[in-house]
Amino acid sequence: MKISYEWLGDFVDLNGVTPKEAADVLTRLGVEVESLTAVDLSEIIVGRVIEQVKHPKSRTPLWIHQVDLGDRTEQIIAGAPNAVPGSLVPVALPGTTVPNGKLVKDLNIAGFSAKGMLCSAEELMLGEDHSGILILDAGKPGDPLTTVIPNQAVMDAEVTSNRPDCMGHMGVARELAAGLDRPMKVDFMPAFTGKADPPGRDLIDVSIDDPDLCSRYIGGAITGVKAGPSPKWIQRRLRACGVRPINNIVDITNYVLLEYAQPLHAFDLAKLSGGQVHVRRARAGEKLLCLDGIERELTPDMLVIADADKPVAIAGVIGGEETAVTEATTEVLLESATFNGPSVRQTARAFGLRTEASARFEKGLPAELALAGARRAAALIAELAGGAVHREWADVYPQPQEPVRIRLKPWLVDEVLGVHVPLDDSEAILVRLGFHVRVLGDGEWDVLPPVFRLDVTIPEDLVEEVGRVYGYDRVPPTLPGRRHDKWTPAVPSQGRRLDAARQVLTGAGFTETWNPALVSGRLLEQLRVGARALRVSNALSDDMDTLRTSLLPSLVNVVALNRDRGRTEVKVYEIAAAFLAHVGDKTTQQPEEPLRLGVVADAGTTAESGRKAFYAMKSVLDGCVRELGAPPGTYQRAAAEMFHPGRCAAVFLDARQLGYLGELHPSVLTGANVEGRLVAMEIDLEPVLDAAGVKRAQTLPRFPAIERDLAVVVEEHVAAGALLATIKEAGSDILDSALPFDEYRGAQVPEGHKSVAFALTFRSPERTLTDAEVDEVMAEIKLALQKKHSAGFRT
Amino acid sequence: MINPQELTQAALAAIAQAHTEDELAAIEVDYLGRKNGRVSNLLSGIGKLPSAERAVLGQAANEAKRAIEAALAGRRRELTDARLADLAETEAIDITFPGPALGRGRIHVLTQVQRQIESVLESLGYKVELGPEVETEWYNFEALNIPPGHPARESWDSFYFTPDLLLRAHTSPVQIRAMQRIKEPPIYIITPGRCYRRDPPEATRLPYFSQVEGLAVDKALTVGDMKGTLLYMIQSLYGEDRRVRVRPSYFPFTEPSFEFDVSCGICAGAGCKSCRYKGWLEVGGCGMVHPQVLRNGGIDPEKWNGYAWGFGIERMAMLKHDVEDIRLFYESDLRFLEQF
Repeated sequence: MKISYEWLGDFVDLNGVTPKEAADVLTRLGVEVESLTAVDLSEIIVGRVIEQVKHPKSRTPLWIHQVDLGDRTEQIIAGAPNAVPGSLVPVALPGTTVPNGKLVKDLNIAGFSAKGMLCSAEELMLGEDHSGILILDAGKPGDPLTTVIPNQAVMDAEVTSNRPDCMGHMGVARELAAGLDRPMKVDFMPAFTGKADPPGRDLIDVSIDDPDLCSRYIGGAITGVKAGPSPKWIQRRLRACGVRPINNIVDITNYVLLEYAQPLHAFDLAKLSGGQVHVRRARAGEKLLCLDGIERELTPDMLVIADADKPVAIAGVIGGEETAVTEATTEVLLESATFNGPSVRQTARAFGLRTEASARFEKGLPAELALAGARRAAALIAELAGGAVHREWADVYPQPQEPVRIRLKPWLVDEVLGVHVPLDDSEAILVRLGFHVRVLGDGEWDVLPPVFRLDVTIPEDLVEEVGRVYGYDRVPPTLPGRRHDKWTPAVPSQGRRLDAARQVLTGAGFTETWNPALVSGRLLEQLRVGARALRVSNALSDDMDTLRTSLLPSLVNVVALNRDRGRTEVKVYEIAAAFLAHVGDKTTQQPEEPLRLGVVADAGTTAESGRKAFYAMKSVLDGCVRELGAPPGTYQRAAAEMFHPGRCAAVFLDARQLGYLGELHPSVLTGANVEGRLVAMEIDLEPVLDAAGVKRAQTLPRFPAIERDLAVVVEEHVAAGALLATIKEAGSDILDSALPFDEYRGAQVPEGHKSVAFALTFRSPERTLTDAEVDEVMAEIKLALQKKHSAGFRT
Repeated sequence: MINPQELTQAALAAIAQAHTEDELAAIEVDYLGRKNGRVSNLLSGIGKLPSAERAVLGQAANEAKRAIEAALAGRRRELTDARLADLAETEAIDITFPGPALGRGRIHVLTQVQRQIESVLESLGYKVELGPEVETEWYNFEALNIPPGHPARESWDSFYFTPDLLLRAHTSPVQIRAMQRIKEPPIYIITPGRCYRRDPPEATRLPYFSQVEGLAVDKALTVGDMKGTLLYMIQSLYGEDRRVRVRPSYFPFTEPSFEFDVSCGICAGAGCKSCRYKGWLEVGGCGMVHPQVLRNGGIDPEKWNGYAWGFGIERMAMLKHDVEDIRLFYESDLRFLEQF
């Protein structure tokens, strides 16, 4: 919100307080000033135009002015024609830099000297109007412009959603007054009331269908107004806050909105059919041509202001064009109402239209504010548009706002803040903020918040009020500590335990990535992993409309992106949740969120390089599982979406399937525009962590081992894993380890067969083995291999 | 019969002329070899000699052996010294040539920063708590004092799956779940995790990000304790010269509520370009836990109170490592990730 420093000065004495100081005080109090734009007008002087003639030679139209500067007259040329003789204008003399940064020079334009510049509002940073010279409504030639327009400073502040009262200058000024410990110059409730006859409520009939949506509606009748431009100071302040001046009546409603934070609307009373205001829901099919020139279709969940026939305004959002105040208006109905916040927000959202009014109603305004705003606006209209304000306004207010009283144990302030605030200070702070404090017999306080502070309801709220004005900088930092007789022992966090796997991956050359969990649902469908995907109902875009069911699509895209950027070898992984919706009648429950490890690596371009990469990936997985402290996993040939049908393994830990490892299906790579081959795995990590145990030391062998190699020739389909199982079974307890280390096809191996070489180690914990003993066991192993797998042997 | 003295002289001469280890080894075998060494051969006929001569010859042979052994050792030392003396010339390499690539991957900078934050808070006794990313309305909003229609909901515009299921907008639901599980304070936890808000991606914010929130529930905790905890954390992460300030703000789940800022590391609070002349960098939000939120977590606010805070891990990483665009963390460009 834009806050004018000049305007704040109406409510609190800012003598000796610079705009920067005021901004700092506000920020410390919780109205965060994000930027401060200061406009220094002290070098600009007031001039009076004596004569204006068109430049005789210039092709672009220029006007030559003789300007009275008090002690002398200067000739000044301008491009706008509106500084007619008699006008008071702001003048910047040569050598001056005007607020928008332009340096004024001594010029000669086609034979005519120009000794300065007549300034527009834009050049003085008093608004966006650059169409003409700013015409002043007061001032003496030769005096500094600041005698007419004070130096300006506009703050851009963020008002938190609990403080709609600070969405007006008066509320902000009250904060500032409390922070500076200076009195407020103006009471919250203006004393003004109308006096004209007949009573206002005889001129308009107000009714509210649903008091939950509109808790109060004040309709003030003002007759005999003269619509026209509003005074310069109002226009200037509106402009400073980013509001375009329209006419005095409309400007006053906007002015009071920016002052009190109470949105108001002025209807042309004569155009309200049947002399009625009916606050009701819109009827199906109703439309309203709005003040911004757009016709909007209304729906029955929207609240409107209607006359006897039709909607004339969308409650709390925008008024209608037809009943708007124009230059011809003489009778005004001033609306000051309290609309339900969520209802206004919903309607404003439905239209994608956030107005100054809706932004305030959304926060939930107090009904008491409506009267204050109405009185202030009526007083201004009477003063500036010459109207007669009628007495006894229509004021439908079925359930008056209940005052909230808070019982405060004042020592709570010290207990919560951790610093001693004297009781007198606490009380004084609350009083400065408009609270009434009554000290009770038991030392507790009965506190009554001001009517505009609906946000204060519990004792902790009062502690905050005291704390922020007292100053949190004055609270010394401490670390908590007391004797605890209860605790939970420290255990390493899941993340920290998984760092063991990260170490393995890092050592193996893999880089960790964090990829967005929201991906394209279409992509998941294409990869046929979209079955249990959760789709976002209000996605920002269709490439982020679905929660991923697998980490692999993201990782494949990471490979594609890095290839595009010139990287040849890419090895990446991610540890994150995948999201799997429940099926059947449980689809509205929270999904499963298995924590996964996804890994993708380049696998070269050939079948052989792919095969090698597959085994390398197994090593990475085995390494991770081992470092996580779990027993080794087992692999079974499997088929899975996204994986190569001949090169995919399901990974098991005991009987539990962890996931899949393998080469990615060529069509997955084509879809992602990746050439060559990729090898990947995706593993559930929680079962691995669950299976983790402490590593136990093994006694070191005391006797030497005997090593033998064995080349087993079998048909192609026989898996090394099956051979290994047979070897281990037949190997008796002196077989210490067996490991396949080579696969061979070619000379000495029949067609359709392969030779698998195993390295066998024999060892006894009790004695040195003899060759004869080992030969015996080798014979048994061979026999078992022959029987089970029809194996032959190469020497 | 060969004279032991002559034999010794011959051996010493040969040793003195030897220039390699191999030559010395040959000489050693030639003279001292057990089977056919010349010194051994001296003694071959010793059994036939009278005992007096036998003793003299034995002694002479032993002396010869010792003298030859000493000479061999001496010559060996000389040769070794000579060889080591010119290592600087004979085996010099170009030490400016680079080593081969290590071939190691990297751990993501956000994991690194998250772990640093966890370590600091774990040193104060906080424990890591995790929770689901897809949450219910109740845990994400209502339990945190943000009922439907609450104006503050605008700050947490969320992604919905059903009217009741959404992606959590903060890790605060984990605080509620932890209170419900632990039941009786003291509770000192931190809740790192991914969060989601419906903000279009730009250089300073993303619809997905990561937070670490902290929660302390105990007896008689104060705003001062909260400030001290934040200061300890910030100084531990960024250095002892950093300061923390809290500014009043508003969150429905804390009362009082604050934003917390860290003094700019470049200008130390004086104001410079990098902090946009504010002297302070906004880091996160914090406050004393609202009594209703404690109640929603099953904790009696008459007996216990608490403080909580939260901030983005990305923000902390940006401050620490001078990262200017938050999108880099999730774009997975290896040229970025390999810098950390």
